[in-house]
Amino acid sequence: MKISYNWLKDFVDLSDLTAEKVAEKLTVSGFEVEDVIYMNKNLHDVYVGHIEKIEKHPEADRLVVCKVDVGFKKVQIITSATNVFEGANVPVSLEGADLANGVKIKPTNFRGVPSDGMFCSGEELGIDENYFEGAGINGILILPENFVAGTKIEDALMLNDVVFDVNVTPNRPDCNSIIGIAREVCAIFGRKFKNFDLGYKTVAGNVNDIVKVSVETENCPRYMASYIKNIKLERSPLWLRSRLHAVDIKPINTIVDITNYILVEQGQPMHAFDYKYLDGGKIVVRQAIRGEKIAVLNGNSYNLDEDVMVIADTNKPVVIAGVIGGVNSCVGNDTIETVFECAAFDLKSVRLTAKKFGLRTDSSARYEKGVNVNSPTVAMKRALHMVDKLGCGEIVDGVVDVCNQKLEAKEEIKISYKKVCKILGFEIPVEKMLSILNGLGIETAVSGDMLLCKSPFIREDIKNENDIAEEVIRIYGYDVYNDMEGGLFENSTTTIGQFEPRIAMENNLKSILVDNGFYETLNYSLYTASACDKLLLAEDDERRKVIKIANPISEDLSTVRTVMAHALLVDVAYNLSVGNKELRFFETGRVYQPKKLPLEELPLENNRLSIAVCESGYDFFALKGVVENLLLVSSLKYTLKRSVEPYLHSGVSADIVAEDGKVIGWFGKVHKSVLKNYDINQDVFYAEIDTDYLAVLPEKQYATKEISKFPTVERDIAVVVDEKISNAELAGAIKSAAGKNFFDVSLFDVYRNESLGEDKKSMAYKIVFMCEEKTLTGEEISAAVNKILRSLQFRFGAKLREM
Amino acid sequence: MKNKLEEILKSGTSEIEVLQDLKTLDEVRVKYLGKAGALTQILRGMKDVPAEERREVGSLANSVRETLEKALSEKWAELENAALVAEMEKEKIDITEPSRGVKRGALHPLTRFNNKFMEICVEMGFTVIQGPEIETDYYNFEALNVPKNHPARDMQDSFYITDNILMRTQTSNMQIRAMEKMKPPFKVVCPGRVNRNDSDSSHSPIFNQFEALVIDENIGLKDLMMMIKEILKRLFGEDVKMRVRPSYFPFTEPSIEIDATCQRCQGKGCSLCKGTGFSEVFGAGVVNPKVLEMSGIDSVKYSGFAFGPGIDRSVMVTNKIPNIKYLFRNDLRFLKQMR
Repeated sequence: MKISYNWLKDFVDLSDLTAEKVAEKLTVSGFEVEDVIYMNKNLHDVYVGHIEKIEKHPEADRLVVCKVDVGFKKVQIITSATNVFEGANVPVSLEGADLANGVKIKPTNFRGVPSDGMFCSGEELGIDENYFEGAGINGILILPENFVAGTKIEDALMLNDVVFDVNVTPNRPDCNSIIGIAREVCAIFGRKFKNFDLGYKTVAGNVNDIVKVSVETENCPRYMASYIKNIKLERSPLWLRSRLHAVDIKPINTIVDITNYILVEQGQPMHAFDYKYLDGGKIVVRQAIRGEKIAVLNGNSYNLDEDVMVIADTNKPVVIAGVIGGVNSCVGNDTIETVFECAAFDLKSVRLTAKKFGLRTDSSARYEKGVNVNSPTVAMKRALHMVDKLGCGEIVDGVVDVCNQKLEAKEEIKISYKKVCKILGFEIPVEKMLSILNGLGIETAVSGDMLLCKSPFIREDIKNENDIAEEVIRIYGYDVYNDMEGGLFENSTTTIGQFEPRIAMENNLKSILVDNGFYETLNYSLYTASACDKLLLAEDDERRKVIKIANPISEDLSTVRTVMAHALLVDVAYNLSVGNKELRFFETGRVYQPKKLPLEELPLENNRLSIAVCESGYDFFALKGVVENLLLVSSLKYTLKRSVEPYLHSGVSADIVAEDGKVIGWFGKVHKSVLKNYDINQDVFYAEIDTDYLAVLPEKQYATKEISKFPTVERDIAVVVDEKISNAELAGAIKSAAGKNFFDVSLFDVYRNESLGEDKKSMAYKIVFMCEEKTLTGEEISAAVNKILRSLQFRFGAKLREM
Repeated sequence: MKNKLEEILKSGTSEIEVLQDLKTLDEVRVKYLGKAGALTQILRGMKDVPAEERREVGSLANSVRETLEKALSEKWAELENAALVAEMEKEKIDITEPSRGVKRGALHPLTRFNNKFMEICVEMGFTVIQGPEIETDYYNFEALNVPKNHPARDMQDSFYITDNILMRTQTSNMQIRAMEKMKPPFKVVCPGRVNRNDSDSSHSPIFNQFEALVIDENIGLKDLMMMIKEILKRLFGEDVKMRVRPSYFPFTEPSIEIDATCQRCQGKGCSLCKGTGFSEVFGAGVVNPKVLEMSGIDSVKYSGFAFGPGIDRSVMVTNKIPNIKYLFRNDLRFLKQMR
């Protein structure tokens, strides 16, 4: 929220402070000043100048040479502007000026005639016609006759304010106003709040005879109205326009400006109606009727319904309550009588309406955060005071006040002094505590160990010791902790820290992958709804049951992912598209599988590790090696079977099946059609593992055996078999036929050649024998090998290949 | 005889001295010590030496043999070494040629920061926990003292799934889940992903947070401040400065925001920290007793504090990452720089 420093000065003496100092202290006291804006930043070296004489330029028809009095000296300015005249007062920028539009002024020479500077337009000074008459024209700003030559332009045009952009937290709606921040400044610097004038004159009559207010909704705890006649609608005085301008509100006319002035100063939104358009002289606060429509001041029209609270007359809605006024009743040039509205509305109702229409106004912003039910009383008086002060109308005696909420005095709360100290973690002298609270307008009384605290009605946020502790420490200053002695958790229990098993497991897996040249990627949990199609998931695939975001940013982020593969394939495709090669990626993340749609309970969130490789020369077995190494980290016992993942090559992929039969992962070559869907024209290998499953397995145990004193003996055999016979079958058969001295078997070569016959392959195995009692003899080994060969021939028709 | 031996010693040592290769070394060995070698001849002729001289000549012959053998073996070692040196010189390679084999990959910078943060917390006695990213309104908002239509909801635009279920907007949901599940005293920390419906170009709709919660008797602001001081030192070094700003979170009271020395400019002031030299790292506060009560914890006996950093920004700054989009773009050219 924008806060004018000059305006603050109305309520607190800041004469011995700088704006920076005030901003800094506000920040460390809970009101972060995000920016300090100097209105005069681009106005230095610009003065009011009086044009004494204008002569034609000797060399240029379109230029004139002006002799100008800028108070402290006479200067010569060349201009092409046609609206200047002898005797006119104009803004003159001299050497050193640095205007808002980026123009920097230095003395120049126009065809042999020197010029000391430049005359300025309103635009060049950063102002428009609303702010100052003549500022909107396409030419030099002609200043009033009574301006004195030599006056700094920032003073002459009252553009010398400093503006704070303050971040007011939602618990302090009372500080969405100048007076709220002023009260804080008083508390911070220990100053007295300067009370403001609320007096005004009235004319005879009774407002209750003129304006009838009826509140027919529970969303309006209070509605006040007053009536002003014989209105003089004109430009507000410059000081008032200057203040509105500083806080980014466009000055319009006296009546509208007053309502805005109150909004900013008091934090109380107001509205002014043109009385003649209020049918029946009646104001009805009610929920709209479905089908009603209203055209409002921002140029739009809205269809209303019963969720929207409106202000209506006897026939029609005239305002969307708390949000924006209708064009059918606003104050215009022909307004002679006005009704001021000053109300408290329910914050939820205003919030919902503002959200529904996507409308954020200065008014709704304040109502949404909460306007206190006591606020309209003071604000209305202050507004009427302004009307009187500006002399812009006659206030008819009385104020309509419909209040549906009991205005009870604030209850005292009982606070334990000790508890406050405990929350703060140190002893703060009780007198210091009391003086801080009093400075914040909180009345206190000591009663034994307890403090009785009564906060001002605007402070609805103070309810317990924690709230009081916060008030005390933010004014006392958090610096107190900087040099405080003492260790960590000195008055509390020791706890033993530990990692989450899955995170520990994942970190293990990640370091293996990193050592194997993989890069970790990070992808969104949201993706496009088309992912399932691109991955060729069957119509009845469970993973097509996806959770949709009700209010997505875009289609690309509309669906909660049920499949990991999409993200890495997108990453691969992107990297290939920018010319990156040799891609080894992995990701850990979750898939979210709903139990039922539409979602009634939280979905299953499953943590997974996904891996993708796109690299020349890579193959299934390279990836298999990576997967095997990863699984060695856990105590998982598994078998492989052909995978049915639709996005993998059906012949070059495997499922990882745990002992309990659960498929806990899969890996293989990505299906050609899938690659096409992602515009990838190279082979990609993909693997995925359920890390939740691995994390809950018992820790891997190791049981080692004595190393045999006797040597191992190796024999190599190669057998020719049908293609359909797998390594697993052959190796298994070798193991079971090898007898009690079997130690190990491994496939070391696969050979295919026409000479072997159609659909035949040669499989070469290294078989290792060992006996723990003695050295095996050649005869024993040969006998075992022969037994193996007979078994292979019998079971698979395998023939020994001559080597 | 003695003269002969001395002659052999002299000519032998001088011949060995000038040897240049192993082959001639062997020839010299044979010439003197071989079966038909000069010294062997002498030894063979010992029987002709008079008995009284035999002892003296014998010992002289032996010492000559030893001297020559020693000289030969030293020379042999010298020549063999020289040969090896020459061979290595020949095998000299260009050590600036690239290495071979699988090159190490890299963890994502966010993971590295996460791990560092978790390690610090675990050392301080925190248990790492994890929880759902799709959450009910109750855990994400209500139980954190943010009822429906509370203005604080404006601070966080949410991705809704149903009226009651949403993508969590903060890891603070884990405060509630921890309080429901665990018995005080406890310290937990929860890293996790959060989502906000924020289309701003400098914000990512998905980002990462931590949530730390301590519940025990006698926990107050001082504990929080001490802990944060310690964490900042470990994250950013001993010289880090911190600044505290009172703030507002519905679930903590008092609430603060912690700024630390801007890690981009090291406190000198830059565009990132708007010239202040500080940038925001944590939101924190003393747990609101209302929140404790709602989660079934006795707020008279127990108190606590909570804090949570958004880590993406810290990761960006400490790794000098120029654009937030890099964090999720997964471009190999970026990831390779993280090795």
